[in-house]
Amino acid sequence: MSALLEVEGVSVTFDGFRAINDLSFSIGEAELRAIIGPNGAGKTTFMDIVTGKTRPDTGRVVFGRPEIDLLRMRESDIARAGIGRKFQRPTVFEAQTVSDNLMMALKKDRSPFAVLGHKATGDDSDRIVEIAREIGLGDQLPRLSGELSHGQKQWLEIGMLLAQDPRLLLVDEPAAGMTLGEREHTTDLLVRTAKSRAVIVVEHDMEFVRRLACPVTVLHEGSVLAEGSLDHVTADQRVIEVYLGR
Amino acid sequence: MSKSFFARNPSILIFIALLALITIAATIFSEAYGTALLPTNYVKVLGKTMSFCMIAIAMDLVWGYCGILSLGHFAFFGLGGYMIGMWLMYARTEDIVVASLANSALPATAQEIRDGIGTQIFGVVGGSEIPTVWMFADSLTIQLALVVLVPGLLALVFGWLAFRSRVTGVYLSILTQAMTLALSLYLFQNDSGLRGNNGLSGLQNLPRLTEMPQSVVSIWFLWLSALALGLAYLFAAWVVSGKFGNIIKAIRDDEARIRFLGYSVEGYKLFIFTVTAIMAAIAGAIYYPQAGIVNPAEIAPIASIYLAVWVAIGGRGRLYGAVIGATLVSFLSSWFTGGQAPDVPLGFYTIQWVDWWQVLLGLGFVLVTLFAPSGIGGIFDRFVRKDAA
Repeated sequence: MSALLEVEGVSVTFDGFRAINDLSFSIGEAELRAIIGPNGAGKTTFMDIVTGKTRPDTGRVVFGRPEIDLLRMRESDIARAGIGRKFQRPTVFEAQTVSDNLMMALKKDRSPFAVLGHKATGDDSDRIVEIAREIGLGDQLPRLSGELSHGQKQWLEIGMLLAQDPRLLLVDEPAAGMTLGEREHTTDLLVRTAKSRAVIVVEHDMEFVRRLACPVTVLHEGSVLAEGSLDHVTADQRVIEVYLGR
Repeated sequence: MSKSFFARNPSILIFIALLALITIAATIFSEAYGTALLPTNYVKVLGKTMSFCMIAIAMDLVWGYCGILSLGHFAFFGLGGYMIGMWLMYARTEDIVVASLANSALPATAQEIRDGIGTQIFGVVGGSEIPTVWMFADSLTIQLALVVLVPGLLALVFGWLAFRSRVTGVYLSILTQAMTLALSLYLFQNDSGLRGNNGLSGLQNLPRLTEMPQSVVSIWFLWLSALALGLAYLFAAWVVSGKFGNIIKAIRDDEARIRFLGYSVEGYKLFIFTVTAIMAAIAGAIYYPQAGIVNPAEIAPIASIYLAVWVAIGGRGRLYGAVIGATLVSFLSSWFTGGQAPDVPLGFYTIQWVDWWQVLLGLGFVLVTLFAPSGIGGIFDRFVRKDAA
């Protein structure tokens, strides 16, 4: 299986603190992967590196085929290359409607001049309605997204990810603050999405990870501690130590 | 979604109708074309106010919508004035010099005319050479192009450097203010070639149209100001009403997030910064022939801060808010500082509005910031929102 994203020997230090330590990781074209790990394990920093927010001190991060070097690209270029990210705290544009939020995310020419002359086609509107239905916001399109509930905002953000039509989705704690029903819906959505693209889910909640039924990577102190099925890694003595404390 | 541009933006038609009404009414009551009820001076105040409204719209675009608190847009306004002022002053002086040389025995040579112009314009700063920056001053077409090009290029280069380095927020404001101050200090120098602190004057006299009385000139400029303001409003409304408007508002609200959606924030900021600088410059090129004089003091940072105050009082992020703020504050300002407001004798102290107007304005700004953060325009929003719901 050819890898879509390959991270090799990456290290990053903040003020003497080693947030990521010789980390290597890879994920295939259509794969679902969960990343777990205690606080400070480097999960968010890992996402920051892949999306261009943080530059590592050493290492290699390449994407796609032919390979492109993500370490030489700006955030917006990386996003356009096909990597979408959902943040831990839902960050949608609250002063704008659900429909406007999705329209901004929709895969289109993103240069200022193209956007200035932008006119939504029927296809665009159809696509937005389709996404909105998929994320359970079909009847909320004209609403200001600031008025949505926490769970709905999480979904809107996932919807914005889908609208970007990325090849790799980085999803940070998608289930945080969701009710049980909402969680199930989110799991379905992620599993379905991973049929056609790569999805990396960072999550604390073991129950949620179990429901995803996918390979798990455990991070600890900035590097990979264990990898495999959830049952496999939770049986690992080192993982138990890390999670249950010294 | 299928509604027309105007149906989605009802404020445009109201604004254009009001603007036309005011302009036509002023013409009907003018000294030149009507009943002479409205003194020429007031026509000029009206025209100048319209130019202020235009730069306020530019400021609202860049600050209210895109979140860049620029303290440099009045510098672009002033530069626009300088660019058109150079032609006005050169061509008008040429008229005078040619007329005075016409009485001499021999026909004047081109060199004599040039020397005459040089002495006339630059005698005040102790020179008679025409500086290089004036090389195109005899061409209206080129100077008109420079109205757009000089401030536009300055904004483009400055913006590119600042945005590329991701300077944001208050740091960017300080940087723009430094640019404004540097430009103003440069122009204050006598050897800047733009007459130092004297600035360019006599701009109200149009070359080759010396016979035309100011009452007529003022009406023509009023119409020009109204036309430019109307177009600027339309343009700004078009820019902010579509997807582009959503993107710049998103940049204002969460710059990092929109970057992860794949938008080049720097490109958008540079676009808005440059386009609004050009709008400001055009407004300045229309304003200064009505004001008659442009000097470096006009460009000083305080002017750009006032501009931000207008927009804040009127209401950021709504175009009519900018217009309301600019109109209200500049009318009040000319009323209070024009000597029309009666002084208030308190026995032990007399409140003279010329001095106290600034305090009043500052107080107004503080009150609006505290109690009506969305400005005067925010009041209208309440009605509009109710209708839409």
